[in-house]
Amino acid sequence: MPEATSAESDIALRTGGRARRPNSVGLRRLNILVGALSLPLFIGLWELVSRSGTVNMVLFPPPTVVAAAVLEWIRSGQFFSDLLASLFRVTTGFIVGGALGILLGILTGQFPVISSLLSPLFHILRPIPPIAFVPIVILWFGLSEAGKLFLVVWGVFFTVWLSTHIGVQKVDRGLIRAALMLGTPRRQMLQEIVLLGALPYIVVGLRTAVSISFYTLVAAELAGAFAGIVYRIEIAQQNLQTGQVMGGLAALGLISFIADRLFAALAERIVWWR
Amino acid sequence: MKLALASSPASDESARKQPAIQVSNLSIVFDTKGGQVIAVDRVSFDVAPGEFVCIAGPSGCGKSTVLNTIAGLEVPFEGEILVEGAPVYSPRPDVGMVFQQPHLFPWKSVRRNIAHGPRMLGKSTTEAYAIADDLIAMVGLKRFADAYPNTLSGGMQQRVAIARALANQPRVLLMDEPFGALDAQTRTVMQDNLLALRDRIKATIVFVTHDIDEAIVLADRVLIMSAGPGRILREVAVKLPRPRSSSVLVEPAYHSLKKDCLDVIRAEGLRAFNQSDAN
Ligand SMILES: Nc1ncnc2c1ncn2[C@@H]1O[C@H](COP(=O)(O)OP(=O)(O)OP(=O)(O)O)[C@@H](O)[C@H]1O
Ligand SMILES: [Mg+2]
Repeated sequence: MPEATSAESDIALRTGGRARRPNSVGLRRLNILVGALSLPLFIGLWELVSRSGTVNMVLFPPPTVVAAAVLEWIRSGQFFSDLLASLFRVTTGFIVGGALGILLGILTGQFPVISSLLSPLFHILRPIPPIAFVPIVILWFGLSEAGKLFLVVWGVFFTVWLSTHIGVQKVDRGLIRAALMLGTPRRQMLQEIVLLGALPYIVVGLRTAVSISFYTLVAAELAGAFAGIVYRIEIAQQNLQTGQVMGGLAALGLISFIADRLFAALAERIVWWR
Repeated sequence: MKLALASSPASDESARKQPAIQVSNLSIVFDTKGGQVIAVDRVSFDVAPGEFVCIAGPSGCGKSTVLNTIAGLEVPFEGEILVEGAPVYSPRPDVGMVFQQPHLFPWKSVRRNIAHGPRMLGKSTTEAYAIADDLIAMVGLKRFADAYPNTLSGGMQQRVAIARALANQPRVLLMDEPFGALDAQTRTVMQDNLLALRDRIKATIVFVTHDIDEAIVLADRVLIMSAGPGRILREVAVKLPRPRSSSVLVEPAYHSLKKDCLDVIRAEGLRAFNQSDAN
Protein backbone atom coordinates (compact mmCIF):
# COMPACT_ATOMS: atom_id res chain seq x y z
CA MET A 1 0.00 0.00 0.00
CA PRO A 2 1.83 3.08 -1.21
CA GLU A 3 -0.51 5.42 0.74
CA ALA A 4 0.26 3.81 4.05
CA THR A 5 4.01 3.87 3.50
CA SER A 6 3.98 7.52 2.53
CA ALA A 7 1.92 8.34 5.62
CA GLU A 8 4.31 6.36 7.75
CA SER A 9 7.35 8.08 6.34
CA ASP A 10 5.55 11.39 6.78
CA ILE A 11 5.03 10.68 10.46
CA ALA A 12 8.60 9.43 10.77
CA LEU A 13 9.83 12.68 9.18
CA ARG A 14 7.78 14.90 11.46
CA THR A 15 8.83 13.07 14.59
CA GLY A 16 12.45 13.09 13.43
CA GLY A 17 12.47 9.31 12.92
CA ARG A 18 11.81 8.55 16.57
CA ALA A 19 8.73 6.99 18.04
CA ARG A 20 7.07 9.72 20.02
CA ARG A 21 7.26 7.87 23.32
CA PRO A 22 10.31 5.62 23.21
CA ASN A 23 9.57 4.37 26.71
CA SER A 24 6.16 2.94 25.85
CA VAL A 25 7.57 -0.13 24.02
CA GLY A 26 9.91 -0.99 26.90
CA LEU A 27 7.11 -0.53 29.43
CA ARG A 28 4.79 -2.83 27.51
CA ARG A 29 7.49 -5.55 27.33
CA LEU A 30 8.03 -5.28 31.07
CA ASN A 31 4.30 -5.66 31.69
CA ILE A 32 4.12 -8.77 29.50
CA LEU A 33 7.11 -10.27 31.34
CA VAL A 34 5.63 -9.58 34.77
CA GLY A 35 2.29 -10.99 33.61
CA ALA A 36 3.94 -14.20 32.44
CA LEU A 37 5.75 -14.58 35.77
CA SER A 38 2.65 -13.96 37.90
CA LEU A 39 1.35 -17.54 38.16
CA PRO A 40 4.76 -19.31 38.42
CA LEU A 41 5.78 -16.90 41.19
CA PHE A 42 2.57 -17.49 43.09
CA ILE A 43 2.79 -21.28 42.74
CA GLY A 44 6.47 -21.31 43.73
CA LEU A 45 5.76 -19.27 46.84
CA TRP A 46 2.88 -21.56 47.74
CA GLU A 47 5.14 -24.63 47.37
CA LEU A 48 7.76 -23.03 49.64
CA VAL A 49 5.29 -22.02 52.33
CA SER A 50 3.60 -25.45 52.36
CA ARG A 51 6.90 -27.29 52.70
CA SER A 52 8.45 -24.84 55.17
CA GLY A 53 6.89 -26.66 58.12
CA THR A 54 5.12 -23.59 59.45
CA VAL A 55 1.74 -24.84 58.22
CA ASN A 56 -0.04 -28.19 58.40
CA MET A 57 0.71 -29.90 55.08
CA VAL A 58 -2.44 -32.02 55.25
CA LEU A 59 -4.64 -28.93 55.38
CA PHE A 60 -2.45 -26.80 53.12
CA PRO A 61 -0.81 -29.16 50.62
CA PRO A 62 1.76 -27.81 48.14
CA PRO A 63 0.94 -27.46 44.42
CA THR A 64 2.85 -30.64 43.58
CA VAL A 65 0.50 -32.65 45.79
CA VAL A 66 -2.50 -30.89 44.26
CA ALA A 67 -1.20 -31.67 40.78
CA ALA A 68 -0.75 -35.31 41.69
CA ALA A 69 -4.32 -35.45 43.00
CA VAL A 70 -5.63 -33.90 39.79
CA LEU A 71 -3.65 -36.38 37.67
CA GLU A 72 -5.07 -39.26 39.68
CA TRP A 73 -8.53 -37.76 39.26
CA ILE A 74 -8.09 -37.65 35.49
CA ARG A 75 -6.52 -41.14 35.31
CA SER A 76 -9.40 -42.71 37.22
CA GLY A 77 -11.80 -41.42 34.57
CA GLN A 78 -13.89 -39.68 37.21
CA PHE A 79 -12.75 -36.26 36.11
CA PHE A 80 -14.48 -36.50 32.76
CA SER A 81 -17.73 -37.86 34.12
CA ASP A 82 -17.67 -35.11 36.77
CA LEU A 83 -16.88 -32.48 34.15
CA LEU A 84 -19.63 -33.73 31.85
CA ALA A 85 -22.20 -33.81 34.66
CA SER A 86 -21.37 -30.24 35.74
CA LEU A 87 -21.18 -28.84 32.22
CA PHE A 88 -24.49 -30.47 31.33
CA ARG A 89 -26.19 -28.80 34.31
CA VAL A 90 -24.67 -25.41 33.61
CA THR A 91 -25.33 -25.39 29.86
CA THR A 92 -28.85 -26.78 30.00
CA GLY A 93 -29.77 -24.47 32.86
CA PHE A 94 -28.22 -21.50 31.10
CA ILE A 95 -29.99 -22.19 27.82
CA VAL A 96 -33.41 -22.86 29.37
CA GLY A 97 -33.16 -19.96 31.87
CA GLY A 98 -31.76 -17.61 29.24
CA ALA A 99 -34.46 -18.47 26.69
CA LEU A 100 -37.23 -18.03 29.27
CA GLY A 101 -35.66 -14.76 30.47
CA ILE A 102 -35.44 -13.33 26.95
CA LEU A 103 -38.96 -14.41 26.07
CA LEU A 104 -40.59 -12.98 29.19
CA GLY A 105 -38.36 -9.90 29.11
CA ILE A 106 -39.63 -9.11 25.62
CA LEU A 107 -43.23 -9.69 26.71
CA THR A 108 -43.02 -7.53 29.86
CA GLY A 109 -40.90 -4.91 28.12
CA GLN A 110 -43.22 -4.59 25.16
CA PHE A 111 -46.69 -5.05 26.68
CA PRO A 112 -47.57 -2.94 29.75
CA VAL A 113 -50.42 -5.29 30.72
CA ILE A 114 -48.10 -8.29 30.95
CA SER A 115 -45.58 -6.15 32.81
CA SER A 116 -48.22 -5.08 35.36
CA LEU A 117 -49.16 -8.72 35.81
CA LEU A 118 -45.69 -10.24 36.21
CA SER A 119 -43.18 -7.55 37.19
CA PRO A 120 -44.27 -7.21 40.87
CA LEU A 121 -43.97 -10.99 41.32
CA PHE A 122 -40.58 -11.12 39.61
CA HIS A 123 -39.24 -8.19 41.60
CA ILE A 124 -40.12 -10.00 44.86
CA LEU A 125 -38.67 -13.35 43.79
CA ARG A 126 -35.52 -11.98 42.12
CA PRO A 127 -33.56 -10.83 45.21
CA ILE A 128 -33.92 -14.21 47.00
CA PRO A 129 -30.51 -15.91 46.63
CA PRO A 130 -30.99 -19.14 44.63
CA ILE A 131 -29.08 -21.06 47.35
CA ALA A 132 -31.98 -20.37 49.71
CA PHE A 133 -34.14 -22.58 47.51
CA VAL A 134 -32.00 -25.67 48.10
CA PRO A 135 -34.16 -27.05 50.97
CA ILE A 136 -37.41 -26.73 49.09
CA VAL A 137 -35.86 -28.05 45.90
CA ILE A 138 -34.79 -31.17 47.81
CA LEU A 139 -38.36 -31.54 49.10
CA TRP A 140 -39.82 -31.14 45.63
CA PHE A 141 -37.32 -32.94 43.44
CA GLY A 142 -35.28 -35.11 45.82
CA LEU A 143 -31.76 -35.64 44.50
CA SER A 144 -32.90 -35.82 40.87
CA GLU A 145 -31.32 -33.93 38.00
CA ALA A 146 -34.50 -31.86 37.61
CA GLY A 147 -33.93 -30.16 40.95
CA LYS A 148 -30.40 -29.13 39.94
CA LEU A 149 -31.60 -27.76 36.64
CA PHE A 150 -34.34 -25.88 38.48
CA LEU A 151 -31.76 -24.06 40.62
CA VAL A 152 -29.57 -23.04 37.68
CA VAL A 153 -32.56 -22.00 35.58
CA TRP A 154 -33.90 -19.97 38.49
CA GLY A 155 -30.62 -18.11 38.94
CA VAL A 156 -30.15 -17.39 35.23
CA PHE A 157 -33.74 -16.49 34.48
CA PHE A 158 -34.11 -13.38 36.64
CA THR A 159 -30.89 -11.74 35.50
CA VAL A 160 -31.70 -12.28 31.84
CA TRP A 161 -35.34 -11.30 32.29
CA LEU A 162 -34.45 -7.99 33.95
CA SER A 163 -31.80 -6.98 31.42
CA THR A 164 -34.07 -7.90 28.50
CA HIS A 165 -36.98 -6.01 30.03
CA ILE A 166 -34.84 -2.90 30.53
CA GLY A 167 -33.28 -3.28 27.07
CA VAL A 168 -36.67 -3.42 25.37
CA GLN A 169 -37.88 -0.39 27.32
CA LYS A 170 -34.75 1.60 26.56
CA VAL A 171 -34.93 1.16 22.79
CA ASP A 172 -34.47 4.65 21.33
CA ARG A 173 -37.92 6.14 20.62
CA GLY A 174 -36.27 8.07 17.78
CA LEU A 175 -35.42 4.81 16.00
CA ILE A 176 -39.03 3.68 16.31
CA ARG A 177 -40.30 6.99 14.92
CA ALA A 178 -37.81 6.82 12.06
CA ALA A 179 -38.90 3.26 11.32
CA LEU A 180 -42.58 4.28 11.39
CA MET A 181 -41.87 7.10 8.94
CA LEU A 182 -40.21 4.59 6.60
CA GLY A 183 -43.34 2.46 6.45
CA THR A 184 -42.41 -0.19 9.03
CA PRO A 185 -45.70 -1.78 10.16
CA ARG A 186 -46.18 -1.73 13.94
CA ARG A 187 -46.47 -5.51 14.07
CA GLN A 188 -43.02 -5.80 12.48
CA MET A 189 -41.46 -3.27 14.88
CA LEU A 190 -40.42 -6.02 17.30
CA GLN A 191 -38.33 -7.97 14.83
CA GLU A 192 -37.05 -4.97 12.86
CA ILE A 193 -36.14 -2.54 15.65
CA VAL A 194 -36.93 -3.57 19.23
CA LEU A 195 -35.05 -6.88 19.36
CA LEU A 196 -31.90 -5.45 17.82
CA GLY A 197 -32.12 -2.29 19.89
CA ALA A 198 -32.35 -4.41 23.06
CA LEU A 199 -29.66 -6.86 21.98
CA PRO A 200 -26.70 -5.14 23.68
CA TYR A 201 -28.58 -5.21 27.01
CA ILE A 202 -29.61 -8.84 26.52
CA VAL A 203 -26.00 -9.83 25.85
CA VAL A 204 -24.79 -8.09 29.02
CA GLY A 205 -27.49 -9.92 30.99
CA LEU A 206 -26.48 -13.25 29.47
CA ARG A 207 -22.83 -12.64 30.31
CA THR A 208 -23.66 -11.94 33.95
CA ALA A 209 -25.78 -15.08 33.89
CA VAL A 210 -22.76 -17.19 32.88
CA SER A 211 -21.12 -16.62 36.27
CA ILE A 212 -24.47 -16.90 38.04
CA SER A 213 -25.00 -20.32 36.49
CA PHE A 214 -21.72 -21.45 38.10
CA TYR A 215 -22.73 -20.06 41.52
CA THR A 216 -26.00 -21.92 41.37
CA LEU A 217 -24.22 -25.05 40.17
CA VAL A 218 -22.32 -25.07 43.46
CA ALA A 219 -25.55 -24.88 45.43
CA ALA A 220 -27.13 -27.54 43.25
CA GLU A 221 -24.30 -30.05 43.64
CA LEU A 222 -23.82 -29.41 47.36
CA ALA A 223 -27.50 -30.25 47.76
CA GLY A 224 -26.60 -33.84 46.86
CA ALA A 225 -25.46 -35.36 43.61
CA PHE A 226 -23.79 -38.49 42.25
CA ALA A 227 -21.25 -36.78 39.98
CA GLY A 228 -19.96 -33.29 39.29
CA ILE A 229 -16.96 -31.10 40.06
CA VAL A 230 -18.44 -29.61 43.21
CA TYR A 231 -19.75 -33.01 44.28
CA ARG A 232 -16.16 -34.32 43.99
CA ILE A 233 -14.88 -31.42 46.10
CA GLU A 234 -17.38 -32.29 48.81
CA ILE A 235 -16.50 -36.00 48.80
CA ALA A 236 -12.77 -35.15 48.97
CA GLN A 237 -13.41 -32.86 51.91
CA GLN A 238 -15.16 -35.68 53.79
CA ASN A 239 -12.08 -37.88 53.19
CA LEU A 240 -9.69 -35.09 54.17
CA GLN A 241 -8.12 -35.17 50.65
CA THR A 242 -7.25 -31.50 50.68
CA GLY A 243 -5.19 -31.79 47.48
CA GLN A 244 -8.24 -33.10 45.66
CA VAL A 245 -10.37 -30.29 47.14
CA MET A 246 -7.94 -27.66 45.87
CA GLY A 247 -7.67 -29.37 42.49
CA GLY A 248 -11.46 -29.28 42.23
CA LEU A 249 -11.51 -25.58 43.07
CA ALA A 250 -8.85 -24.88 40.45
CA ALA A 251 -10.82 -26.88 37.87
CA LEU A 252 -14.01 -24.96 38.71
CA GLY A 253 -12.17 -21.64 38.41
CA LEU A 254 -10.62 -22.63 35.11
CA ILE A 255 -13.91 -23.83 33.62
CA SER A 256 -15.87 -20.72 34.56
CA PHE A 257 -13.01 -18.54 33.34
CA ILE A 258 -13.04 -20.30 29.96
CA ALA A 259 -16.84 -20.08 29.80
CA ASP A 260 -16.74 -16.35 30.48
CA ARG A 261 -14.06 -15.74 27.84
CA LEU A 262 -15.89 -17.85 25.28
CA PHE A 263 -19.07 -15.90 25.92
CA ALA A 264 -17.26 -12.57 25.71
CA ALA A 265 -15.89 -13.58 22.30
CA LEU A 266 -19.35 -14.73 21.23
CA ALA A 267 -20.92 -11.49 22.49
CA GLU A 268 -18.67 -9.48 20.20
CA ARG A 269 -20.09 -11.40 17.25
CA ILE A 270 -23.69 -11.15 18.42
CA VAL A 271 -23.56 -7.34 18.66
CA TRP A 272 -21.82 -7.14 15.31
CA TRP A 273 -22.13 -3.41 14.69
CA ARG A 274 -20.12 -2.30 17.72
CA MET B 1 -54.82 36.59 15.77
CA LYS B 2 -54.16 37.55 12.22
CA LEU B 3 -53.07 34.87 9.81
CA ALA B 4 -50.73 36.03 7.12
CA LEU B 5 -52.14 35.90 3.64
CA ALA B 6 -49.26 37.29 1.65
CA SER B 7 -48.95 35.91 -1.85
CA SER B 8 -46.16 33.51 -2.61
CA PRO B 9 -44.40 32.64 -5.86
CA ALA B 10 -46.28 29.35 -6.01
CA SER B 11 -49.70 30.82 -5.29
CA ASP B 12 -50.72 31.20 -8.97
CA GLU B 13 -49.96 27.55 -9.46
CA SER B 14 -51.67 26.43 -6.28
CA ALA B 15 -54.88 28.11 -7.44
CA ARG B 16 -55.06 25.47 -10.12
CA LYS B 17 -53.56 22.54 -8.25
CA GLN B 18 -54.61 21.14 -4.92
CA PRO B 19 -52.07 22.06 -2.21
CA ALA B 20 -49.62 19.34 -1.17
CA ILE B 21 -50.24 20.13 2.46
CA GLN B 22 -53.22 21.90 4.01
CA VAL B 23 -53.04 22.72 7.71
CA SER B 24 -56.25 24.27 8.94
CA ASN B 25 -56.91 25.61 12.39
CA LEU B 26 -54.48 23.17 13.98
CA SER B 27 -54.23 23.20 17.77
CA ILE B 28 -52.20 20.76 19.81
CA VAL B 29 -52.50 20.35 23.56
CA PHE B 30 -50.21 18.30 25.78
CA ASP B 31 -51.19 16.87 29.13
CA THR B 32 -48.40 17.57 31.58
CA LYS B 33 -48.07 17.32 35.35
CA GLY B 34 -48.80 21.03 35.62
CA GLY B 35 -52.03 20.68 33.63
CA GLN B 36 -52.73 21.10 29.94
CA VAL B 37 -50.29 23.04 27.81
CA ILE B 38 -51.30 24.55 24.48
CA ALA B 39 -48.25 23.87 22.33
CA VAL B 40 -49.79 25.03 19.05
CA ASP B 41 -52.72 27.43 18.78
CA ARG B 42 -54.94 27.53 15.66
CA VAL B 43 -52.23 27.39 13.04
CA SER B 44 -53.26 27.38 9.37
CA PHE B 45 -51.13 27.32 6.24
CA ASP B 46 -50.96 25.64 2.84
CA VAL B 47 -47.94 24.35 1.00
CA ALA B 48 -48.08 24.13 -2.78
CA PRO B 49 -46.77 21.07 -4.62
CA GLY B 50 -43.01 21.33 -5.05
CA GLU B 51 -42.76 24.33 -2.76
CA PHE B 52 -39.98 24.67 -0.18
CA VAL B 53 -41.34 26.18 3.03
CA CYS B 54 -39.28 26.93 6.12
CA ILE B 55 -40.82 27.26 9.56
CA ALA B 56 -38.67 29.48 11.74
CA GLY B 57 -39.15 30.46 15.33
CA PRO B 58 -37.64 30.39 18.81
CA SER B 59 -37.05 27.20 20.77
CA GLY B 60 -40.22 25.72 22.21
CA CYS B 61 -42.64 27.54 19.90
CA GLY B 62 -44.06 24.29 18.54
CA LYS B 63 -42.20 23.85 15.27
CA SER B 64 -41.45 20.19 15.89
CA THR B 65 -44.98 19.59 17.12
CA VAL B 66 -46.47 20.98 13.89
CA LEU B 67 -44.10 18.88 11.80
CA ASN B 68 -44.75 15.72 13.81
CA THR B 69 -48.47 16.21 13.33
CA ILE B 70 -48.08 16.55 9.57
CA ALA B 71 -46.01 13.36 9.77
CA GLY B 72 -48.81 11.57 11.61
CA LEU B 73 -46.67 10.98 14.70
CA GLU B 74 -48.81 13.35 16.80
CA VAL B 75 -52.60 13.63 16.85
CA PRO B 76 -54.27 17.03 16.38
CA PHE B 77 -56.31 18.26 19.33
CA GLU B 78 -58.32 20.46 17.03
CA GLY B 79 -58.24 21.23 13.34
CA GLU B 80 -57.25 19.15 10.36
CA ILE B 81 -54.26 18.27 8.23
CA LEU B 82 -54.59 17.11 4.64
CA VAL B 83 -51.63 15.75 2.70
CA GLU B 84 -52.34 15.36 -1.01
CA GLY B 85 -55.99 15.93 -0.13
CA ALA B 86 -56.23 13.03 2.34
CA PRO B 87 -56.40 13.44 6.12
CA VAL B 88 -53.40 12.22 8.10
CA TYR B 89 -54.03 9.72 10.89
CA SER B 90 -50.72 7.91 11.08
CA PRO B 91 -47.31 7.92 9.37
CA ARG B 92 -47.57 7.21 5.66
CA PRO B 93 -44.78 6.23 3.29
CA ASP B 94 -45.36 9.13 0.87
CA VAL B 95 -44.40 11.50 3.68
CA GLY B 96 -40.71 11.28 4.58
CA MET B 97 -39.06 12.74 7.65
CA VAL B 98 -35.54 13.76 8.63
CA PHE B 99 -35.06 14.45 12.33
CA GLN B 100 -32.56 16.64 14.15
CA GLN B 101 -30.72 13.49 15.20
CA PRO B 102 -29.99 11.13 12.30
CA HIS B 103 -31.64 8.16 14.10
CA LEU B 104 -29.88 5.70 11.82
CA PHE B 105 -30.28 2.02 12.67
CA PRO B 106 -26.89 1.32 14.26
CA TRP B 107 -26.97 -2.36 13.29
CA LYS B 108 -27.38 -1.66 9.60
CA SER B 109 -24.78 -0.54 7.12
CA VAL B 110 -25.37 2.69 5.19
CA ARG B 111 -26.77 0.71 2.25
CA ARG B 112 -29.13 -1.35 4.40
CA ASN B 113 -30.29 1.73 6.32
CA ILE B 114 -31.32 3.38 3.07
CA ALA B 115 -32.82 0.16 1.72
CA HIS B 116 -34.98 -0.27 4.84
CA GLY B 117 -37.92 1.82 3.55
CA PRO B 118 -38.21 0.15 0.14
CA ARG B 119 -37.90 -3.28 1.83
CA MET B 120 -40.77 -2.39 4.16
CA LEU B 121 -42.87 -1.37 1.18
CA GLY B 122 -42.42 -4.84 -0.28
CA LYS B 123 -39.52 -4.34 -2.70
CA SER B 124 -37.09 -7.22 -3.16
CA THR B 125 -33.65 -6.91 -1.58
CA THR B 126 -32.05 -6.47 -5.00
CA GLU B 127 -34.43 -3.66 -5.95
CA ALA B 128 -34.03 -2.00 -2.56
CA TYR B 129 -30.24 -2.12 -2.80
CA ALA B 130 -30.33 -0.65 -6.30
CA ILE B 131 -32.42 2.28 -5.00
CA ALA B 132 -30.03 2.66 -2.06
CA ASP B 133 -26.94 2.67 -4.27
CA ASP B 134 -28.40 5.42 -6.47
CA LEU B 135 -29.09 7.57 -3.42
CA ILE B 136 -25.69 6.82 -1.91
CA ALA B 137 -24.12 8.18 -5.09
CA MET B 138 -26.44 11.20 -4.95
CA VAL B 139 -25.35 12.15 -1.43
CA GLY B 140 -21.71 11.40 -2.24
CA LEU B 141 -21.09 8.50 0.12
CA LYS B 142 -20.06 5.75 -2.32
CA ARG B 143 -16.98 4.87 -0.30
CA PHE B 144 -19.09 4.38 2.81
CA ALA B 145 -21.88 2.16 1.44
CA ASP B 146 -20.86 -0.74 3.70
CA ALA B 147 -19.85 1.37 6.72
CA TYR B 148 -21.82 1.30 9.95
CA PRO B 149 -23.29 4.60 11.25
CA ASN B 150 -21.00 4.83 14.30
CA THR B 151 -18.01 5.16 11.96
CA LEU B 152 -19.45 8.23 10.16
CA SER B 153 -19.21 11.92 11.05
CA GLY B 154 -22.36 13.82 12.06
CA GLY B 155 -22.70 15.43 8.64
CA MET B 156 -22.28 12.11 6.86
CA GLN B 157 -24.84 10.49 9.13
CA GLN B 158 -27.34 13.23 8.34
CA ARG B 159 -26.73 12.73 4.61
CA VAL B 160 -27.56 9.04 5.08
CA ALA B 161 -30.71 10.04 6.98
CA ILE B 162 -31.76 12.29 4.08
CA ALA B 163 -31.05 9.54 1.54
CA ARG B 164 -33.00 7.08 3.68
CA ALA B 165 -36.00 9.42 3.79
CA LEU B 166 -35.84 9.85 0.00
CA ALA B 167 -35.70 6.10 -0.69
CA ASN B 168 -39.48 5.77 -0.57
CA GLN B 169 -39.78 8.63 -3.08
CA PRO B 170 -41.93 10.71 -0.73
CA ARG B 171 -44.23 13.38 -2.18
CA VAL B 172 -43.63 15.41 0.97
CA LEU B 173 -40.32 15.66 2.83
CA LEU B 174 -40.40 16.99 6.38
CA MET B 175 -37.12 18.12 7.92
CA ASP B 176 -36.85 19.05 11.59
CA GLU B 177 -33.70 21.12 12.16
CA PRO B 178 -31.69 18.48 10.29
CA PHE B 179 -28.52 20.57 10.38
CA GLY B 180 -29.03 21.97 13.87
CA ALA B 181 -26.43 19.71 15.47
CA LEU B 182 -23.73 20.41 12.86
CA ASP B 183 -20.95 22.98 12.96
CA ALA B 184 -21.37 26.16 10.88
CA GLN B 185 -19.06 25.05 8.07
CA THR B 186 -20.63 21.63 7.64
CA ARG B 187 -24.08 23.23 7.84
CA THR B 188 -23.32 25.51 4.88
CA VAL B 189 -22.13 22.53 2.82
CA MET B 190 -25.24 20.59 3.76
CA GLN B 191 -27.50 23.50 2.77
CA ASP B 192 -25.88 23.63 -0.65
CA ASN B 193 -26.19 19.85 -0.97
CA LEU B 194 -29.86 20.03 -0.08
CA LEU B 195 -30.49 22.82 -2.62
CA ALA B 196 -28.80 20.75 -5.34
CA LEU B 197 -30.68 17.62 -4.29
CA ARG B 198 -33.95 19.50 -4.27
CA ASP B 199 -33.58 20.31 -7.97
CA ARG B 200 -33.43 16.57 -8.71
CA ILE B 201 -36.26 15.29 -6.52
CA LYS B 202 -39.72 16.71 -6.93
CA ALA B 203 -40.80 16.57 -3.31
CA THR B 204 -42.58 19.32 -1.43
CA ILE B 205 -40.37 20.27 1.49
CA VAL B 206 -41.23 21.67 4.90
CA PHE B 207 -38.07 22.52 6.77
CA VAL B 208 -37.94 23.59 10.41
CA THR B 209 -35.12 25.77 11.68
CA HIS B 210 -34.50 28.45 14.26
CA ASP B 211 -31.86 30.00 12.02
CA ILE B 212 -33.30 32.86 9.91
CA ASP B 213 -30.28 32.78 7.57
CA GLU B 214 -30.82 29.11 6.87
CA ALA B 215 -34.52 29.70 6.24
CA ILE B 216 -33.86 32.45 3.69
CA VAL B 217 -31.15 30.49 1.88
CA LEU B 218 -33.38 27.47 1.43
CA ALA B 219 -37.00 28.52 1.24
CA ASP B 220 -39.54 29.86 -1.24
CA ARG B 221 -41.49 31.04 1.76
CA VAL B 222 -40.66 31.44 5.45
CA LEU B 223 -43.33 31.05 8.14
CA ILE B 224 -42.29 32.87 11.29
CA MET B 225 -43.73 31.41 14.47
CA SER B 226 -43.92 32.84 17.96
CA ALA B 227 -43.90 31.00 21.26
CA GLY B 228 -46.37 30.54 24.09
CA PRO B 229 -48.65 29.32 22.56
CA GLY B 230 -47.21 28.59 19.13
CA ARG B 231 -48.77 30.69 16.37
CA ILE B 232 -47.74 31.84 12.93
CA LEU B 233 -46.82 35.53 13.09
CA ARG B 234 -46.08 36.28 9.49
CA GLU B 235 -45.05 34.67 6.27
CA VAL B 236 -42.28 36.09 4.14
CA ALA B 237 -41.92 35.17 0.46
CA VAL B 238 -38.28 34.67 -0.54
CA LYS B 239 -38.04 35.78 -4.14
CA LEU B 240 -34.37 35.08 -4.56
CA PRO B 241 -33.50 33.43 -7.89
CA ARG B 242 -32.90 29.71 -8.20
CA PRO B 243 -30.71 27.71 -8.55
CA ARG B 244 -29.47 29.09 -5.31
CA SER B 245 -26.61 28.45 -2.95
CA SER B 246 -25.53 29.67 0.47
CA SER B 247 -23.73 32.54 -1.29
CA VAL B 248 -27.04 34.47 -1.45
CA LEU B 249 -26.15 35.52 2.08
CA VAL B 250 -24.06 38.37 0.64
CA GLU B 251 -26.69 39.76 -1.74
CA PRO B 252 -28.55 43.03 -1.00
CA ALA B 253 -31.97 41.40 -1.57
CA TYR B 254 -31.10 38.95 1.17
CA HIS B 255 -30.44 41.73 3.66
CA SER B 256 -33.79 43.40 3.20
CA LEU B 257 -35.49 39.99 3.63
CA LYS B 258 -33.59 39.35 6.80
CA LYS B 259 -34.55 42.80 8.08
CA ASP B 260 -38.24 42.01 7.43
CA CYS B 261 -37.95 38.80 9.41
CA LEU B 262 -36.03 40.33 12.28
CA ASP B 263 -38.51 43.22 12.53
CA VAL B 264 -41.34 40.74 13.01
CA ILE B 265 -39.39 38.80 15.61
CA ARG B 266 -38.34 41.96 17.47
CA ALA B 267 -41.88 43.36 17.55
CA GLU B 268 -43.18 40.06 18.90
CA GLY B 269 -40.43 39.88 21.50
CA LEU B 270 -41.30 43.37 22.67
CA ARG B 271 -45.00 42.54 22.83
CA ALA B 272 -44.34 39.38 24.85
CA PHE B 273 -42.06 41.33 27.16
CA ASN B 274 -44.61 44.08 27.80
CA GLN B 275 -47.32 41.50 28.36
CA SER B 276 -45.29 39.59 30.95
CA ASP B 277 -44.50 42.95 32.57
CA ALA B 278 -48.21 43.80 32.86
CA ASN B 279 -49.00 40.46 34.56
N1 LIG C 1 -44.62 15.20 24.50
C1 LIG C 1 -44.80 16.39 25.07
N2 LIG C 1 -45.37 16.50 26.28
C2 LIG C 1 -45.54 17.71 26.87
N3 LIG C 1 -45.19 18.87 26.31
C3 LIG C 1 -44.62 18.85 25.11
C4 LIG C 1 -44.38 17.60 24.43
N4 LIG C 1 -43.78 17.89 23.25
C5 LIG C 1 -43.65 19.22 23.21
N5 LIG C 1 -44.16 19.81 24.31
C6 LIG C 1 -44.21 21.25 24.58
O1 LIG C 1 -44.73 21.86 23.46
C7 LIG C 1 -44.03 23.07 23.17
C8 LIG C 1 -43.50 23.04 21.75
O2 LIG C 1 -42.49 22.04 21.66
P1 LIG C 1 -41.73 21.76 20.30
O3 LIG C 1 -40.79 20.64 20.55
O4 LIG C 1 -42.68 21.60 19.21
O5 LIG C 1 -40.89 23.11 20.12
P2 LIG C 1 -39.85 23.50 18.98
O6 LIG C 1 -40.31 24.76 18.36
O7 LIG C 1 -39.60 22.35 18.08
O8 LIG C 1 -38.54 23.80 19.83
P3 LIG C 1 -37.00 23.51 19.45
O9 LIG C 1 -36.55 24.59 18.54
O10 LIG C 1 -36.30 23.61 20.78
O11 LIG C 1 -36.92 22.14 18.86
C9 LIG C 1 -42.94 23.19 24.21
O12 LIG C 1 -43.38 24.11 25.19
C10 LIG C 1 -42.82 21.83 24.78
O13 LIG C 1 -42.49 21.90 26.15
MG1 LIG D 1 -37.92 21.03 17.72
